[in-house]
Amino acid sequence: MPLLERSAWYDIARDTNWTPKYVEVDELFPPDQSDPYGIPVAEWETFDEPYKVSYREYVSVQREKDAGAYSVKAALARSSYYEDADPAYLSMLKLHYGAIALSEYAACQSDARMTRFSKAPGMRNMATFGMLDELRHGQIQLYFPHQLVSLDRQFDWAHQAHHSKNWAAIAGRHALDDVMMTRDSVTTSIMLNFAFETGLTNIQMIGLSADAANMGDFTFSNLITSIQSDEARHAQIGTPVLEIMVRNGRKAEAQQAVDIAFWRIHRIFAILTGIPMDYWIPLEKRDRSFKEYMTEFVGEQFERQLLDLGLERPWYWDIFLEDVGTHHHCQAAATWAWRNTLWWNPTGNVGPRERAWLEEKYPGWNDTFGKAWDVIIDNLVEGRTERTLPETLPIVCNMSQIPICAIPGNGWNVKDWPLEYEGRLYHFNSEIDRWVFEQEPERYRGHMTLVDRFLAGHILPPDLGGALAYMSLQPGEMGDDAHGYAWVDAYRETRRAAE
Amino acid sequence: MALFPVISNFQEDFVLLLLPVDTENTMDEVAAAAAHHSVGTRVAPRPDKVVRVRRQGASDFFPRDQRLAETGVRPMETLEFIFCDA
Repeated sequence: MPLLERSAWYDIARDTNWTPKYVEVDELFPPDQSDPYGIPVAEWETFDEPYKVSYREYVSVQREKDAGAYSVKAALARSSYYEDADPAYLSMLKLHYGAIALSEYAACQSDARMTRFSKAPGMRNMATFGMLDELRHGQIQLYFPHQLVSLDRQFDWAHQAHHSKNWAAIAGRHALDDVMMTRDSVTTSIMLNFAFETGLTNIQMIGLSADAANMGDFTFSNLITSIQSDEARHAQIGTPVLEIMVRNGRKAEAQQAVDIAFWRIHRIFAILTGIPMDYWIPLEKRDRSFKEYMTEFVGEQFERQLLDLGLERPWYWDIFLEDVGTHHHCQAAATWAWRNTLWWNPTGNVGPRERAWLEEKYPGWNDTFGKAWDVIIDNLVEGRTERTLPETLPIVCNMSQIPICAIPGNGWNVKDWPLEYEGRLYHFNSEIDRWVFEQEPERYRGHMTLVDRFLAGHILPPDLGGALAYMSLQPGEMGDDAHGYAWVDAYRETRRAAE
Repeated sequence: MALFPVISNFQEDFVLLLLPVDTENTMDEVAAAAAHHSVGTRVAPRPDKVVRVRRQGASDFFPRDQRLAETGVRPMETLEFIFCDA
């Protein structure tokens, strides 16, 4: 039977909709799940995605993608790449898989709800593909690290992290639950497809893919390039949704959704991507700095997309552009300090050469972040490793769930952004985190940070052992310096030579 | 006498810390407890200075011998710890 060209049938098939006779429209599409903005169905029926694909084409292309990714893995499985890899690079993989793999399953559920509840037939069609994409991403990013569990049980956290009460996992879940699991399909699309996937996924996938290729890890590089090709397609669901929102007088609500989600995910990516790029990848293998990636892929591209849609830059845009040059440095030091609470092994890796690079990329680094590392290095050189391990907890932000930190040393600007709400004192990492809370306090008020839980007696015994048990970190899993502090040797030798 | 958690924001450190102290502690004792977690760990020692305590954003420091219970500081309030001339 001859097949019609896609263009001959696609629009009418995609736009097929129905008028309910036996139930009310609001029963079929409950406003709190479908569209709390009350935009007419006729408007949603104008949804027109820029990238069109039929199911037949989708399956064919996805099969090719999977075949490519899995065959590269199979071909390289017999090499000893991972056995010989730099341990800090392996930490990047452990962090990535733990943070991302099961979040993809969550994203699958999110897309599934768009598939069910969106009033726009075209959006339901696109979200179906998005749902299948995310299912693939979950499966492939569980399967690939599974072969590495026998090498190092921290890789098992690809499966464990999302279900654990580890502080970093709580941070990821809190942000992703907010952005993609607990809102109506319209707001979810703006937050997930546009602010998260269009705005920020590039940095994780393209940036890390380049670094992985430089490291010779073609399995991982190929994997995330394959994933990003899906993201680039289904991320486009957000654009027509925003066009319809703006056209129907809902620009302010759309802007607020963008502003909330973009900041929340940016702060997660500062840890997930910023730290590996600027600290863990060996100097000679680094592609670009995190700030350079963020400036090009986010600062320029996302800004242009926002303005093209008739939206504004988020109100905190200037703060954001500053933040891409500072925040991940604070978190690099904080996560390294509390390294025994991680499912990966961070490296300090601030030897003299690395510091010169950091100073070049981030002028003033030595005078600020470097001051804290000076004290840490001094302790390590003098054999006082125990002095580098904190004896108390960092205060965790009631929004981002990550340590509240900022610039140390001569640029010291650390600050709590407190808020009292209904008699409870909340603490935030920035005025933007506090602003997010203030937009909808009843959404966030009940959540307890890890520190709140500690003070409420949920963590027993109230010590490091109790905290590690609470976070499900078993012996052999808790983090340590990936290089066994070897990066300090250069300082030790310099001091020895000076004596 | 009661265990009393406050938040330490120590000058030149990069992170806020949970600081368990006691309502009977003087401000000098609270400062010493905060210094234990920051100085020599992530902040370089400054032996010629003393560490004074103030509310976040305040310009005036608490008297060094004032007890925490007398200050009106709330549990989990953020305090700044600043190097000052002795």
